[in-house]
Amino acid sequence: MKSVIVVGVVAALVAIILALGADDPTGPNAFVIIGLSQGAVFGLVALGLVLVYKGSRVFNFAQGEFGTIAAFLVFVMVEQRFPTKVPYVAAAAIAVVLTVLVGLAMERVVVRPLLNSPRVILLVATIAFALFAIGAQVLAFLPEAKALPPMVTSVFGRSSFELYAFTLEPQRMLILLVMGGLAAGLAYFFSKTDLGLAVLAISQDSFATRVVGIGVERMSRFIWGSAAFLGAVAGVLYVPLTVLTPGAMTTGVLIPAFTGAVIGGMTSLPGAFVGGLIVGLIGSLSNWAGGHYMIGEGDTARLLGDIIKGTPDVAVVLALLIVLLARPQGLLGREA
Amino acid sequence: MTATAAETISAPAISRAPAKWRPSAQGWVFRAAVLVLIFGGIIWRTATIEQFWADRFALAAIYAVIGLSLNVVLGYVGQVSLGHHGFVGIAAFVSAYYVTEKAGCVPNECSLGAFGTGILFAVISGGVAALLLGLIALRIRGLYLALITLSYGFMAERSIFEIPFLTRGGAGMPAPRPDGFTTDRAYAFLCYFFLALVIFVDWRLLRSKVGRAVLSVKHSEPVAASYGINVTAYKTLAFVLSGLFAGLGGGLLAFHTQNVVSNDFNFAIALLWVLMVVVGGLGNRTGVVIGSAFFALFPFLLELIHPLEEAVIESGRAFGQVTIVVGAALAILTVIQFPGGIAEQLSPITRWLRGQKFALHPEGHGGKHKGHAHKKGALLAKLGLHKGDQHAVDGAPSEQQASANPPPEESAAAVADHGTPLRADNGAAGGGETAATHGAAAVAADDGTRGGDGSESAGDGDEGAAGDADDIDAVIRRRFPPVPSRTPPATGATDDEEA
Repeated sequence: MKSVIVVGVVAALVAIILALGADDPTGPNAFVIIGLSQGAVFGLVALGLVLVYKGSRVFNFAQGEFGTIAAFLVFVMVEQRFPTKVPYVAAAAIAVVLTVLVGLAMERVVVRPLLNSPRVILLVATIAFALFAIGAQVLAFLPEAKALPPMVTSVFGRSSFELYAFTLEPQRMLILLVMGGLAAGLAYFFSKTDLGLAVLAISQDSFATRVVGIGVERMSRFIWGSAAFLGAVAGVLYVPLTVLTPGAMTTGVLIPAFTGAVIGGMTSLPGAFVGGLIVGLIGSLSNWAGGHYMIGEGDTARLLGDIIKGTPDVAVVLALLIVLLARPQGLLGREA
Repeated sequence: MTATAAETISAPAISRAPAKWRPSAQGWVFRAAVLVLIFGGIIWRTATIEQFWADRFALAAIYAVIGLSLNVVLGYVGQVSLGHHGFVGIAAFVSAYYVTEKAGCVPNECSLGAFGTGILFAVISGGVAALLLGLIALRIRGLYLALITLSYGFMAERSIFEIPFLTRGGAGMPAPRPDGFTTDRAYAFLCYFFLALVIFVDWRLLRSKVGRAVLSVKHSEPVAASYGINVTAYKTLAFVLSGLFAGLGGGLLAFHTQNVVSNDFNFAIALLWVLMVVVGGLGNRTGVVIGSAFFALFPFLLELIHPLEEAVIESGRAFGQVTIVVGAALAILTVIQFPGGIAEQLSPITRWLRGQKFALHPEGHGGKHKGHAHKKGALLAKLGLHKGDQHAVDGAPSEQQASANPPPEESAAAVADHGTPLRADNGAAGGGETAATHGAAAVAADDGTRGGDGSESAGDGDEGAAGDADDIDAVIRRRFPPVPSRTPPATGATDDEEA
């Protein structure tokens, strides 16, 4: 119920902004669209973060790296044609499967031995894994920017859609679609299926869960496998819109995704969905506001201008701080 | 503190029946000789080796300063800071800005006074940055601090490091070294001096009332708070101390590279710093210094292997990139298999140097418990997060750690001089003893079994003493063990959120 209200409020705000600025070419409308499509990616990564947090109460710093690994696998198969030329969609599917295997391996090697450790230790372990993955990518592909072609280039025979002076690529539409579907599916999974309830039970009391006959190790495997799946999907879909560098999904996406997950409440899947979108909007709109209002003459203005080059990041950090101070459980979080 | 709690605390001390073994005069001389050899060797090598190696040694010393800075947050307070590149970078830019723009230094013409002021500004700016962040961030519980520091560092990277008058538009801000220290070798000795200073301050502060309070906060925030310790203030204080050290590290780093570029302070390096502290050994000064120096020197050590060097250079890669992979793998291995890190591996030697018999395992630690459990226990103890059943299992991880965790009497005293004890005398009011006192006594006694020797006997004596003194006390104790351990992951989570 609460989630419906929050989603409604956000949608209404977006609609109002769009309606107010419809005639203003310098208005925020294009930025709203950018923000939404950017936010969809944050939301997709945030879904994986929330999944892991629900299951094992730890922030998974390797979530972004699942995406980069998958993107590099696609790159190897599509661009470098190794081992042979593979159609894009098949390459993406293979990459996702391989990344899930990576996630399972990580669960077995890194997470499993630390299941009963303090969460700080597990946190450090996920950081180490992320850094290991980044380092391995640097060694394998050198720290150079590469380009990955988009998966879809045309929808209904058109290659781009103009919306408020902003070109919406088909790839972005695909991201919005996939993320909506995954969020709905996960929400159903956690509220209606036995497996979903078992995952929730693990996060609350693993001993009691074991007593009633649920295998904690099996659940842990399932959680990390699914997280790797979500991360891989996000990476394969998003990296074509940006540049492929080692750690691309960690440096650019992980922090806003965390912020989105926290805004949503860290335990709520619809919350992660909405939080990701909100973070995208905040970043994009502050970018617009920074460019729109802050440019002036003189030293002070120049200094301000220099600082606000980082506006989206500053705004996202401020949003994170405000939410954590004022409402630590987030918009849609519960103590579960 | 004359209550049952006091008796409980002193119990382990009584049960340490045999007097502590001490080496003979000859033994001390021998130990001193080894120490002199180690430190003399380092100084002699720095003085005689080629300049570019001295430069690398300077980097190792600076990394050690940064490692000690992170160790305050990670090892003493038990929180993760992922934004240290923010503190270090801000301090580096501030000191470089001061000496170049304000003091008008140019290469080979820079007074020691300007350098000193630059370093001072660096230290202050690091402290202020940490204070500002700490005031907000430390009010937030648990793992969320990691997120805040992470996004703080990211914000610094994107906004502060982009200010052109600081960074000169990406070209970098020059930071000429002071007169007399322009050579790499002289500068390395300057870095050693500052490293020694940081080690000294860290050591003295940890042994002071402040240090004991911080450690007690790490062990259990509710218990510390119940003794009148201002938890948030001490956490903020530790955070600021970490910021001051990081500022010093940043200032030194500025004069080390002599041209501060914002690219040097990125997210990956902050993660690497965290890992080097973990690999070195959380909360262990010696281990952290060795671990940091190892991470700083590792790429250069790899270079010494000539076939490898050729292969790496031919492929267009750099040794720094290899360090990240190896460092991360080492950190994973440390966390999973050797939680004590380098400090744990070196503990027989460090224990021996401190005046104990040379033994692979601490005294009073029969062969029974060596293995995974006690190693893990060591890490848990270092983080101050106990699994309830751990206190009987793990013995004394290392004497090193005994210095990190003060002996029980000390920490009890620390608690006592921080606020009014909850209960003044034991009298007949045994049953009225509050749970908080129990918790504190348990924590303190626990501390004893960790830091000292003879863990099992200490634990037993503890229990026995409590039973003799007060039956109800013992019953409560047995019924409600100090830290619930029924559900490890959930407990871990709540522990974290409270810690």
